[in-house]
Amino acid sequence: MGMSAQQKMLHVADRLGLTTLKDMQGSTRMVYDSITTVAATHTLFKGASQRAFPLTNVGANGNQFQVDEALLVEKIGFFVPTLVDGIAYTSTAGGALSVKFDLVIGNKTVIKDATCEVGGEQAFFNDGTVASSVIDLEGVGILIPPQVEYYVVAKAFDGPSRVSVSTRLGCYLFGTGALLNFNTTI
Amino acid sequence: MANQVSKLAYVDSKLGVGLPGQQTTRVIYDSVNSVAGQQFYEFFTNFAGKNEFQTNLTTNKLDSAESMVIKSIQIIMSSATSNLADHSNLNITVGNQVVVKDFDPSFNASNRGLAFDRLHSGFNSANNLELRLLTDIVIPPQVNFKATLQLGNALIAAGDDITIIFKGYGRIFSAGNSF
Repeated sequence: MGMSAQQKMLHVADRLGLTTLKDMQGSTRMVYDSITTVAATHTLFKGASQRAFPLTNVGANGNQFQVDEALLVEKIGFFVPTLVDGIAYTSTAGGALSVKFDLVIGNKTVIKDATCEVGGEQAFFNDGTVASSVIDLEGVGILIPPQVEYYVVAKAFDGPSRVSVSTRLGCYLFGTGALLNFNTTI
Repeated sequence: MANQVSKLAYVDSKLGVGLPGQQTTRVIYDSVNSVAGQQFYEFFTNFAGKNEFQTNLTTNKLDSAESMVIKSIQIIMSSATSNLADHSNLNITVGNQVVVKDFDPSFNASNRGLAFDRLHSGFNSANNLELRLLTDIVIPPQVNFKATLQLGNALIAAGDDITIIFKGYGRIFSAGNSF
């Protein structure tokens, strides 16, 4: 395809009329959110502004980036908070959990009924000898533009037996980012 | 996409740094001593009383003809109890600008199948992690920079050491002339 993550960000921003995104600070970025109430279905990032670190790192902006900030999602990982305080966590793979999820940006579902399978990506993923709880997005990734709400609807299930599992759950979105940079004196 | 060499040259030229300098691989680091239970630490702001292995800087800026591109960030903690595997929050500021914002590096600690990336399988640690950046960050000459790390847990004991290391491509002073 020959397009870098930075090029895709600028291309999408241009199509959306975000003319100043190209002047912002390039960065590596990740956002995560976790819900420590045990449930079969979780809607992550929605309402995250009501949660505090270390349950999430999205801060007061919640599930949208502020003006001229964006994230090109290149990897999505799922984890299980160990306790209600959310400080420590383990991988979903440790409990043989897989996760079926949708990623919604604005009014549009951009990843639909995908699964992050326990131990998937064996040929591509390297984290010690441990099975992966991360899925790499194909292509260059998916851009979450500024000021557009995003969320992940996730359902955990047992990978081998394919039955629903109620659990605490967390999710991170990792990739190339843009941070607000005033290129003028204000 | 600009490579590290051309990006550094581009940013330096935009800032009016004209000297060519010696191209090199640059590693800078700073270590802080912990306070029991304290969860917030600042790096590259205080160099007093540190030995050469705790920091290789004397001020929180690079020299006038020196600059670097941060390609990866390593964090090492001496504590066995307050490890880096629990959630944490890393911010890096160059000048007045936040260049890495609210980043949780803990997913690259330990081996839980959650790492962003890892080049080899042999080593993993809850107290020693490295993070490769997807976008290179430039530290220009004579511009203040700092890093802050907020730990999710309050288990840290007094006297433990936390070290942050920036690695990448850089330029060091070369007069290009005999004095």
